[in-house]
Amino acid sequence: MIALEDRAVEVGALATELKQLDGRLMVLFATGSAGAQEELCALVRAGDAVIKLRAPVQRRAYPAVTPMVPAAHWFEREIHDLQEITPEGHPRLEPLVRHPPEQRELELPEEEDVRLAHRGAERLAGPGVFVIPYGPVRSGVFESAQFLVQTGGEDVAYCAQRLFFKRRGAERRICEVPLELAVLVAERVSGTSSVAHALAFSHAVESLAETEVPPRAQAIRRMLAELERLYNHLEVTVRECEDASLSVGHAQFAALKERLHRLAGAVVGNRYLRGAVIPGGTRIDLNGPALDLIDATLSEWEREWQRVLAVLLRTDSFLDRLVSAGPLSEDDARDFACVGPVARASGIDLDTRRDLPYDGYPDFDAARHSDGDAMARMEVRFREVHVSLELIREAAASLMPGPTRAELGPFTRQSALGAAESARGETLYWLEADGERALRFCKLRAASFMNFGVFNRVFDSQVLTDFSFIEHSLGLSPAGCDA
Amino acid sequence: MIRWFLRGVTQRRLTTRYPRAEEPAPPGFRARALLDPSATNPRLAWRAAEACLPGALILDHQDRLRLDATRCIGCGLCVEAIEDGPLAIDSGYELASSSRRRLVVGDVAESDTSPAVLDGPFRRSLHIRHVDAGSDGAVEQEIAALLNPYYDMQRLGLFFTASPRHADVLLVTGPVTKPMEEPLRRAYEAMPEPRVVIAAGTDACSGSIWTEPDVLGGVDRVLPVDVYIPGDPPSPIALLHGLLLASGRAREVSAPRWHGRWRSSRENRD
Repeated sequence: MIALEDRAVEVGALATELKQLDGRLMVLFATGSAGAQEELCALVRAGDAVIKLRAPVQRRAYPAVTPMVPAAHWFEREIHDLQEITPEGHPRLEPLVRHPPEQRELELPEEEDVRLAHRGAERLAGPGVFVIPYGPVRSGVFESAQFLVQTGGEDVAYCAQRLFFKRRGAERRICEVPLELAVLVAERVSGTSSVAHALAFSHAVESLAETEVPPRAQAIRRMLAELERLYNHLEVTVRECEDASLSVGHAQFAALKERLHRLAGAVVGNRYLRGAVIPGGTRIDLNGPALDLIDATLSEWEREWQRVLAVLLRTDSFLDRLVSAGPLSEDDARDFACVGPVARASGIDLDTRRDLPYDGYPDFDAARHSDGDAMARMEVRFREVHVSLELIREAAASLMPGPTRAELGPFTRQSALGAAESARGETLYWLEADGERALRFCKLRAASFMNFGVFNRVFDSQVLTDFSFIEHSLGLSPAGCDA
Repeated sequence: MIRWFLRGVTQRRLTTRYPRAEEPAPPGFRARALLDPSATNPRLAWRAAEACLPGALILDHQDRLRLDATRCIGCGLCVEAIEDGPLAIDSGYELASSSRRRLVVGDVAESDTSPAVLDGPFRRSLHIRHVDAGSDGAVEQEIAALLNPYYDMQRLGLFFTASPRHADVLLVTGPVTKPMEEPLRRAYEAMPEPRVVIAAGTDACSGSIWTEPDVLGGVDRVLPVDVYIPGDPPSPIALLHGLLLASGRAREVSAPRWHGRWRSSRENRD
């Protein structure tokens, strides 16, 4: 259960208040239906506390927060698009969520415009400069997203990311459907992070109902969450090998990833671990044979993984492409409140499993790196694979007999925050109760929503041929971002 | 590079024999629900339908259950909701059919008499263009998994192609969100004829748990769909089966009908 420190502020003072807190902006959203009094709500991680700032909005406009707190940039555009509340003075108030399907040209502000600094755009003009509209249907098997790459041929002058082609209305669906079925929606927001989304949602619901999860369910949850992290980190490795035209490496890592999905299918009945986590505990139990299967598979898997990884880390053609590609400075990562391996690879010490502890995670070392380039992000993932294997073993050893689910009581609280660390970073669900068994409001924020925000900055003065290396090193999920 | 070469050649064969041999799913795998339409208990039926989020199980006007496999996400909550009821979970990997009607059990106009085999011009090789129309991201990974050594789809003459102009098959995932409708249509129009459209995944087949106004509710609202591959997400074998079906090299699956209760009750009589 996450304790929140509630503070009411004037909407005009929201930006300065956020700046003074000097924390990490977790989420910013507007509550209240049209007509009723709208309220801006910001959750900030400052020190060890989570502070909730509330500010009522008058006349559907307020002074924008983004000029002082850059991390708010996408949140404010989202609020502008969906709730039609205008953040006045926002450096880039173009449509973010509700945009026309495709755009083929970039519209950059004029030179010496303050807005240019916010975008991190290097203005390029003249003959030979052109824009590549890449997406939303891209070559290869990829999720839909569009990238407008401005280039003179080789150097990327500017890259604009356009998301939200895949918005399916998950927040609306979560409130519409019966409470006991809502976790199925959360599992399908980002299909490769089903466990993390189900966990974050369940944590929020459990917090609303003040229900304790039995220790056995907590251990099973940890095992599943770490198994999910393994195959997501493998996915990034597979993609990077593919980009480097390393066919044998691609085949070997893809085979390793497949083994994890087969294990998931055998223990949970779904290759993406769906239908396992529910509010109050878990739907499945892991019995002796299942635990033996997990242990045997992962022991063999780890030996094989270490062998292939050792070869990969001695392959110069692979390392050359990743080292120094797509650097993200610690300042940018902090300013834009990046999360997960992307933030950790730029030297930021954060991990939801440790910072907002849940499901009985033991103490562990969060992998970190200071280089901030694509290789650093990979190395963070490689170390996390090791940590995840340890955590799975620890959880299996700590399995005590007992129930795997607790009866979910009626809601006793009005609102709650749920968090979980997916393979991509901190995943958040903010829920507001409607009576004792229903939800009135849901705001979900996937890790990719934060990390997509720095996409253009990571491409600053990079070359076009490194595009896919850099993109994949960020390990983003358009489905999660778009929700 | 020599290290990679040695790793490549010193390993045993991983590739499945599918479709020449069956590839069994692990026991307990939740592919889709099965329904015994002969069992009728309105109270139980109502409870099962209540537990079905995507609306795969619905009651007809006579309070009889009807199961639509193109909407089923295999969550298994219906089986949990009614103990010893007319429902079971199917663990089979193969799920594809060329007709949505054929994947429905309990309809009055049910028509699964003779599973047809698509006979197209693509028996030898198939070039596939994938379009994501709002999926959850897992289907893409299952499609990409077709290239891993376990499935190695190229051995079956199946290839991905970068351009719709070179494609025979449009493999569509996702329930078709509003912003993806136009790009999807344009990809289809860029394809030469003859062309085949495959809806991959429960959300592409029917919209699954997603509803208007954000999604249109299935690929067949926009394009004529030739093969439906339900599954949440469909496993690589399910995808292979659907692709082979599109090229006339596999048989359709039958409706999600459950005979288990009937069989066991007869055994009891004997």
